[in-house]
Amino acid sequence: MDSGKTLCSLLKAIQFQESAVFCAMQEGLKLTVEEGKCVQASAYIPADNFNEYHVRDDVDVLFKISIAVLTECLNIFGSAEESSLKMYYRCEGSPLLLVLQAQSFSNVMTDCEIATQTADTLLELRDEDAEEESKLVLKAPAFLGLLADLERSCDIIEINLSPEHPNLSIVTYGMQDRSCIEIPKSSDMVQSFTCERAVTLKYQLYHIRLIMKALAVSNKVVLRCSSNGLLLLQLKLEKEDQRQMFSEFYIVPLLDD
Amino acid sequence: MKFRAVMVDTGPMREFTNIVSTISKLSKECVLRLSTEKLYFIVSEDNSGPSPPMLWCEIPQDTFFSEYQIVGVDDEYRDIYLGLVSANLSKSLATLKTAKCLKMKLTKKQCPCLTLEIETPSSTSQQTRQVTHDIPVIVIPRKLWSEFHEPRIPQPDMSIELPALKQLRTTIDRMKGMCPEVVIRASAEGRLTLQIKTDMAKVSTRFKDLRVMAFEGPIDHSDSETETQTIEDISKTCYCRVDTKKFSMFLSADQISHNATVCSIVNKKLVILCLQTEENVKLQCFITGIVY
Repeated sequence: MDSGKTLCSLLKAIQFQESAVFCAMQEGLKLTVEEGKCVQASAYIPADNFNEYHVRDDVDVLFKISIAVLTECLNIFGSAEESSLKMYYRCEGSPLLLVLQAQSFSNVMTDCEIATQTADTLLELRDEDAEEESKLVLKAPAFLGLLADLERSCDIIEINLSPEHPNLSIVTYGMQDRSCIEIPKSSDMVQSFTCERAVTLKYQLYHIRLIMKALAVSNKVVLRCSSNGLLLLQLKLEKEDQRQMFSEFYIVPLLDD
Repeated sequence: MKFRAVMVDTGPMREFTNIVSTISKLSKECVLRLSTEKLYFIVSEDNSGPSPPMLWCEIPQDTFFSEYQIVGVDDEYRDIYLGLVSANLSKSLATLKTAKCLKMKLTKKQCPCLTLEIETPSSTSQQTRQVTHDIPVIVIPRKLWSEFHEPRIPQPDMSIELPALKQLRTTIDRMKGMCPEVVIRASAEGRLTLQIKTDMAKVSTRFKDLRVMAFEGPIDHSDSETETQTIEDISKTCYCRVDTKKFSMFLSADQISHNATVCSIVNKKLVILCLQTEENVKLQCFITGIVY
């Protein structure tokens, strides 16, 4: 890979836990982080982001790795510096090897050996039976601005989706106040909007806030709600060379009490 | 005891400010030694014992000051040693970058003070403003002078040029987050390797094609654990394990415009980092090795 910088910023965006599950597939790399069985965040790096990409197809390349150490290693020459990256992994139990070369200085090189562990099982949050009820495509920077405006002290965020006006409203309840943001589907930040019937969903605001770092590096966000209330956010990060990386967040709703 | 000095050129003023601010980042307190030829800033570690000071900085007075007068205690002891809080000095000098003139003198107010008179031009009129800072100092008695003598250090096994400090600092700062100790390894072929090892990861950054200033090889590694991983001739390399934080602190000196920085290593015992500027300021940092 010519530049480890975008990869590093993507990984930082899902770095809310110490370790991640690293999975290499034919299509690309996937790193997954979980937060207390309620949020599952993944970063996808499609294989076309790499100049060369080989994965053995007869074995599962799956292991647990410290994402903090991985991002520090990728960032070893500082965030201002572009560096080329090579990544190697031999077999279960062997470390992940990284070779980084700074682009503006030819005389420096870094080797990293990062210890790997056997991967924990990940939550299977996707339910095949649950239908997708609504889908929204939003501009990531605008959505980030909106989330940043929300009162931090609130615990709960309520998302109302409806085919009627206003199509999307976000309500937070504070100590003494209730604040509501309404976004009609004609809004500039909404690129597409589909919703079959009105729904009200509640989430922990803290969980929603976890996606903010990823929003900051992304261009576009797709919000999907399924009939069981599971919220799926898919974020697309487009690089200068037109190649794309993705991140994905599954967020479990709060049950009505 | 008398001391009076005047600085008028902007270049030296800027440099002096940078030096002092670097020192204030390295340590809370420092000793300023004034002699007829040079000014010295000395930082010792609290419990250093016989080991060399952490920092030794020499500033030749004639390139910095247009006037410089010093009268010591008597003819035999001509120097003055002052203990001061380095942040006080660096804060007072903050306005120096735009100043016209700096006067430094030793005064006796409620306590002994190093008085700085800074004259700054006004942006609206021809008149100038004068700011006076009194920095309390402790005059260090003669019997304690021996603690601040020029460090006597063993002959380094190797001296090697360091790569650009800024680049080195970003790398070290990343490593600092992962491991408190870093192994600095230099080879006579001009390679410098920084290596950390933790349970989680092993990271080594190699710089090559660096100038080797001195090499007193071959180096005896007979007592060390044999690491057969190296293909290169290990008698031509030496290393030292040091505190990552201390190393990183020295690298913050990159704000002083410098000609060359040299890293000297006494195998396994000591790392000496030396920065030299065009005005012949020499800043040396001594980091003792960690031995298990």
